[in-house]
Amino acid sequence: MRGAATILHADLDAFYASVEVRDRPELRGKPVAVGGGVVLAATYEARRFGVSAPLGGAEARRRCPGLIVVPARFEAYVEASRAVMAIFDDFTPRVEPISIDEAFLEVGGSERLFGPAEDIARTIRERVRAEVGLPISIGVATTKHLAKIASRVAKPDGLVVVPAGEEEGFLDPLPVGMVWGIGPVGEERLARYGIHTIGELRAMPQSSVVEWFGQAWGTDLWERARNDDPRSVERRARAGSVGAQSAGDSTDPDRRHTTLLALADRIGARMRRKHLAGRRVTVRVRLDDMSLLTRARVLPGPIAETTPLFRITAELVDALIHDRAANRGITLVGISVSMLEEAPHLQLVLPLEEEQVTTSGSRSHLRARELDAAVDRARERCGRPAVTRGALLRNTPEERSPTEAMGE
Amino acid sequence: MRIRAERDDLVDVLGRAGRAVGVRSPMPILQGVLIDVRGKSMRVTGTDLDVTVRTQLDVEVLDEGSTVVPARLATEAVRKMPAGAVVIQAQGGEVEITGNGPRFRFREFTVDDFPKVSEPDLTGAVKVSGSDFTDALTQVAVAASTDDARPILTGVYFESEEGRLRLVATDSYRLSVRDLPSVEAHLSGLVPVRALRELGRSVGASEIQVAIGDREAAFASERGTLTARLIEGTFPNYRQLLPPSYPNRLKVPREGLLEAIDRASLVAEDHIPIRLTLQKGGVELSVTRQDVGGETEHVEADYSGEEMTIAFNSRYLNDGVTAVQADEVVLDVMDPLKPGLLRGADDDDFVYLLMPVRL
Repeated sequence: MRGAATILHADLDAFYASVEVRDRPELRGKPVAVGGGVVLAATYEARRFGVSAPLGGAEARRRCPGLIVVPARFEAYVEASRAVMAIFDDFTPRVEPISIDEAFLEVGGSERLFGPAEDIARTIRERVRAEVGLPISIGVATTKHLAKIASRVAKPDGLVVVPAGEEEGFLDPLPVGMVWGIGPVGEERLARYGIHTIGELRAMPQSSVVEWFGQAWGTDLWERARNDDPRSVERRARAGSVGAQSAGDSTDPDRRHTTLLALADRIGARMRRKHLAGRRVTVRVRLDDMSLLTRARVLPGPIAETTPLFRITAELVDALIHDRAANRGITLVGISVSMLEEAPHLQLVLPLEEEQVTTSGSRSHLRARELDAAVDRARERCGRPAVTRGALLRNTPEERSPTEAMGE
Repeated sequence: MRIRAERDDLVDVLGRAGRAVGVRSPMPILQGVLIDVRGKSMRVTGTDLDVTVRTQLDVEVLDEGSTVVPARLATEAVRKMPAGAVVIQAQGGEVEITGNGPRFRFREFTVDDFPKVSEPDLTGAVKVSGSDFTDALTQVAVAASTDDARPILTGVYFESEEGRLRLVATDSYRLSVRDLPSVEAHLSGLVPVRALRELGRSVGASEIQVAIGDREAAFASERGTLTARLIEGTFPNYRQLLPPSYPNRLKVPREGLLEAIDRASLVAEDHIPIRLTLQKGGVELSVTRQDVGGETEHVEADYSGEEMTIAFNSRYLNDGVTAVQADEVVLDVMDPLKPGLLRGADDDDFVYLLMPVRL
């Protein structure tokens, strides 16, 4: 007997296409495909004509004569994805992103705070709709595999809950193609044995399924048909990075440093909000001929504070320009922090040498940490513009270079 | 070059010299050991240019001469020979290892390509007890850094201190200081910890000579010599970190504390600290790991001072308590953000200073 249904599979509907429709309301209700040569995503209106990824563009237009094809805007998708994942984070620390538009969530530990899993799923759907403007379907079940099937059944823009004990009744009538790992070919092969539904597959002896699909694959399929999936929701190792960049003229050192400070402030705040800190700092510089230079430094201990981040990135960028791009125009600077770790605790260092704010765990790093904590609290209460560094006041907000976030 | 000797003796001299040989050396010649046969003895030299180990064995010399053989391969080949006498012979670009049946042949390296490493300089050397010295090194080496980005912290600092030889190492999170009493020495220098980790197994003996020159440290015993290029730079001023006295003192049985740390470490990961709540009658250890669980236990001990909770990295704490050689461990603390000092009760020769983790 397995536990309660506390695993959510949340999957944005026709993700890229939905973002386009959100940003261009005139597309609503129309058949829309994202991509050019190959369809990357299609609205449900287009899917009715058999248009879906990864169909060739010409074939898509042939199948659906009124199809509106729009180019992909990946920055917008990354941004939307991040906003959605941030909503997930509000409900549980156990979020396992699978791709840009789907994730598993374990909410077993959150029910005391936010109510039953079904209510959490409903709230998430409402918030994603209200805050990001996108439709999302959620399946709630006792296992990852079943939650994923449930979200597919829920689409578009729906919620399906499979309570504990009702798994078989739910699974049995569904087509075998719903089982993860059975594609069109597997489906066809099973049809030849007269197996069309998951219930029919479940009724087969394991030995037959193994005989058809081989030991490893066959066993997997058979177990999935029986909702036998012991995998738990794993918080993905924070292998990623947090970064931001700013396009615009950064040739003048003062202006460049102001820009780097703004970037450091921004990604520092983002890391701190997620209780992350990182050990590798990477800088990017784009020159007037569009060529890119990068340089990185690995620190002895993790940091997430604005001042040390700024000092390190300014040093790296200045040295990089001095060594490899003296007298060149600088058209973009970017910084990112990787080798991230969750950082609720800070290993202090012995005061061996002169105080360095860039040394994680030093006394001056601690002071920077306290300053940032105070700034973060004030911004949380009064909004982001409430506290700004003096150095950033010289530019009015309109003059400030546009920054864009990357990664994480 | 041609010699005959007992298999086990050959494995010993080849293997110990081979300890200096790097696993992945950029120069193929450094994968080899130099065998030099003259008079009645065979000398073996292995080096990675920073650390050099020389060993020596009296053998039956059939022909004098030199060769360079692949270190690991030749040692393992001799080890796998049948017990008894083994003959090593270099001839026509090949080294042959034979005895009681099997016959190994290896391509010889060119002797002239082997780096000219200088002879150990034992000027001003002091004699120390081998076991005391290697014990002291073990206690200190644990605190040295392995991060090559900060070379100064990858060494053990040797210095003379009022009729004692003092060894110090720090990775900036902890600091280990060990005094060898009644060693009249006048030497100082920063010796790579990697060399010292090899010392016991390569030339360890009941008595060791220690000499530190301007550029190299030399260690010699009846079993051979080890030389190491000194790390350049100034070792941090560690003395200012050791306060003359502390207001709070915990005195706890070492074994009991180690067992408790071991249990807590099962739950702790490297970045999750062990919390020590120091209170009258003992210390409570606790670890909490989000999404996993935790462990808590009380260890009886004497505590005098203010009740407080201080947290340490589990591995650093374990290293420090393990290094203490006494039945009772003393932990002196100031406050939860200042370093704690570990030592053995009634032992002034070793201290381990450990920076806490801020919760």
